[in-house]
Amino acid sequence: MKVIQIDKSELEAGLGKLEKAFRLIGPVKEKGYHLFKTLDSGQKPDLDYMNTRLSARSILYPQSEVMFEFSLDKADEQYAILREPEKDSQPRAVIGIRPCDADAYAVVRRNFDTPEYKDPYWLKNFEATTLVGLACSTPCPTCFCTSAVSGPFSDKNLDIMLVDNGDHYLARIATEKGEKLAADAGWQRPAEGAENRIEDLKLAAEAKIQSEISTDNLANQSLNDLYEAEAAIWEPEAFACINCGTCTHACPTCWCFDVQDETYGKSGFRMRNWDSCMYPLFSLHASGHNPRGTKTARVRQRFMHKLKYYVDKFEQGIQCTGCGRCVRLCPVNIDIRRICNKMNSYDPETCSCAVTS
Amino acid sequence: MKNLLEHMGIEPGRLHFSWISSAESTKFVEVAKQVTEATLALTSKEKKYMKTKPKVA
Amino acid sequence: MTSYTDKIREISKRLLKEGKVDMVIGFAKGSVPMMHQPMFAGNAGDVDRFAWDGNCGINLANYVTDRKEKIGIVAKGCDARNLAVHIVENKISRDQLYIIGVPCTGMIDRHKITARVPGEIEALVEDEAGKTVTVSGAGFSETFDRADVLQENCALCMHRNPVIYDELIADEVPEQSEKEVDRYAAVRKVEEMSPDEKWAYFEDLLSDCIRCYACRNACPLCYCPTCFVDESKPQWVGKSVDPTDIRIFHFLRAYHCAGRCTDCGACVRSCPMGINVRALTKKLEKDCLENFGWEAGLTTDQRPPLDTFKPDDPEQFIK
Repeated sequence: MKVIQIDKSELEAGLGKLEKAFRLIGPVKEKGYHLFKTLDSGQKPDLDYMNTRLSARSILYPQSEVMFEFSLDKADEQYAILREPEKDSQPRAVIGIRPCDADAYAVVRRNFDTPEYKDPYWLKNFEATTLVGLACSTPCPTCFCTSAVSGPFSDKNLDIMLVDNGDHYLARIATEKGEKLAADAGWQRPAEGAENRIEDLKLAAEAKIQSEISTDNLANQSLNDLYEAEAAIWEPEAFACINCGTCTHACPTCWCFDVQDETYGKSGFRMRNWDSCMYPLFSLHASGHNPRGTKTARVRQRFMHKLKYYVDKFEQGIQCTGCGRCVRLCPVNIDIRRICNKMNSYDPETCSCAVTS
Repeated sequence: MKNLLEHMGIEPGRLHFSWISSAESTKFVEVAKQVTEATLALTSKEKKYMKTKPKVA
Repeated sequence: MTSYTDKIREISKRLLKEGKVDMVIGFAKGSVPMMHQPMFAGNAGDVDRFAWDGNCGINLANYVTDRKEKIGIVAKGCDARNLAVHIVENKISRDQLYIIGVPCTGMIDRHKITARVPGEIEALVEDEAGKTVTVSGAGFSETFDRADVLQENCALCMHRNPVIYDELIADEVPEQSEKEVDRYAAVRKVEEMSPDEKWAYFEDLLSDCIRCYACRNACPLCYCPTCFVDESKPQWVGKSVDPTDIRIFHFLRAYHCAGRCTDCGACVRSCPMGINVRALTKKLEKDCLENFGWEAGLTTDQRPPLDTFKPDDPEQFIK
C-alpha cells in the first residue's frame, strides 16, 4: 500500500480540484455539534473534531428516501405504475469519516448485498462513494472500537486513510478508488518510512481506548439461554428504557426501514424511512397482534440482534463498531457495553452473569 | 389551541371558532363567508403550510 | 448530596424490610457522566446502588404508570407534581405510593455543559455545598457556577419541594419567587414576534429533530397506549423527516400536555439533539396560568382545566 504526504495547507487546494469530479461531503459544525453535510464550493470540512453526533449512516442510507414515484391521474397513461425516479449518481467523496463509521458500512453491506438480494439504493450510493477516512488519534472515553469490529486506525473499509501527523497528513491509499481520488486532487508526494510512523501513532491511539467489551463467548452461548435470561439480563436492563429510538437512530450499523406511500394531489411516492425495533409499531401485525408487545421484548431484540443473531448468522463478529454513540446519547444510560459483557458471561446453570458492569 | 397555533407562527385570523346551532343556517352561511374572506386575505404566504414533495435523495 | 444518597438508601431499606412496599424506584449512578439510570430495588441488597445528585433529571413518575405493585418512589419537586397528575388521571392510586420526597436545587443541563467544554466529559463533580460543578476530560478541567449550568426549567422552577410526599429526606429548600425569576421571559420573547418570525423560530428549533420520540417517551404524561403518530389504522401523520410532519408531531404532543405539564424538563433532557421542546409546553403553561389560574400537579383534589367547564372560562375567541 502506498503512503503519501499531504501538507495541511495543500488540503484545501486539493479539495478544490476534487469539486469538479466529486460531490464532497464532510463534517461541519452546526449549533455546537458536528454532522456530515455536502460541502458548498470552497467550504472546508472541519477535521478538528472528535466524531459527529449522529453516525455517517445517512450518507449512504438517508433517513427518508424515495424509492418510486407514481401518478394517480387516471388520464395519465402511466397511471398507478411505479417508476424509479432519477437519482443523483454523481461520484461523491466523504472527507474525514471516522474508521468506526466506515467499518459500519461493511456491517450494513452484509445485509444489503447478499447473493439473493441486492439493495439497489444503498449499493448505488456505496459504489459512487469514495471514503477518505480520518484516523482517530484521540478517541472518546466511551469508544470501545478495538474490542468491537473496528479500531481507531482501522482502514479495512476506507479508500484512503488520513493520519494527522502535525503539520501534514500521512495518507495511506488502500484501493483504486483512493488512487483515483488522490490523483484528481494532485496528492502524489510519497512519504518515505511513513508506515512505521503510522504504526506508532496507531499503537498510541489504541492505548488511549479506555473501555472494552468481551465478545469471545457470544458465539458459544446458546441462543435460547440468552433469550430466556429475563431475570438476569433483560428485565433489569429494560426497566429504565423509555423505548425511544435514540440508540437506533444514532447507530451506524442499524439498517431497518419501513416502507410508506405518500400522495400529493395526483402524484405519489413510495419511500422508505428508518424504523426502530424500539417502537411497538415496528412489529405490529395487520391482525393487531404484536409478537414483541412488551418493552422488555423490544430491548432484548435490539441487543440479541446486534450481539447474538448477527454473530451467528454472519460469523463476522458483532454488529457494532464501538463508536459509543448510543452510550453517549441514551437518556437513561442503557449501556451496550454492560449488556454485552452480561450476555458474554451469562451462565445458564446459575442463571446469572459473572460480569455485570 | 388557538394560542399555541398562533404562537407557532400561524397568523391570527386563520383559525376560527363559532358556536352555531343546527337551527341557525343563516349564521352558518355568514360565518363560512367571513372565514373564507379572512383566510383568503392571508393567502399570500399560504404555501408554507403545505407539505412539499420529498426531495429525491 | 452524599447525605441525600444515604437517606434515600436508609428509607428504602426500611420500607422494603417492613414490607410497606414491593419495590423502590430511584436512580443508580450511570456508566457515563450526567446520565443516571432509573432503577428499581426489590430487595435491600439492590438499595445500595441508589444515588442522588444533580444528574437525576429524568422524571420517575414515568415509571409508575399503570403498575400494580406497592411502590416506594424517590421524587423531587417535579416528579411529585407528576405523581399528583398521575393520581388525578387514574394512572396510579395514592395508596400504592410511598413518596420519598427530595427537596431539589435543580438538575445539571447536560447539553449546556457539553457545549461549553472542548472535549468529551469523563468526570463531573459537584461540591458538597451545591455551589459549583467541575467537569474534566482529556486535557481540560473546568469549574462552573452550579446556577449557570442548571437546566432552564430548573432555573425557573417554583416548586422545588415535593408537593405531596410521605416522607422528606431533608429540610425543605427555599422556593424561588416571582420576583427572583421571570418564568416566562422566553415565551414573551416569542409572543412579541410577527407570525413570520415565529414560524421561522420554530422551523429552526425543530430542524434537527430526528423523530426518535425520546421527548415523548421520557414524558410521564405521554402514556397513551398508542400515540397518534403511531396510529396505523388509519395513519394520521407521515413518517418521514418532512418538516410539516415533524411540526405536527411536536404541536400535537405539546397540546396533549396542556394543563398537565409540570415543566420537569425530561423531554429536553432526553433529546439527543438538544432541542428545546419546552418552547411549546411553556407557552401552554403560561396560558393555563393566565386563563385558568392553574398550575399542574399541585393538588390531587381538583380536576385539570381542560377536563372541566366553568361559566367564567375565557371564550372571547368564539364568535
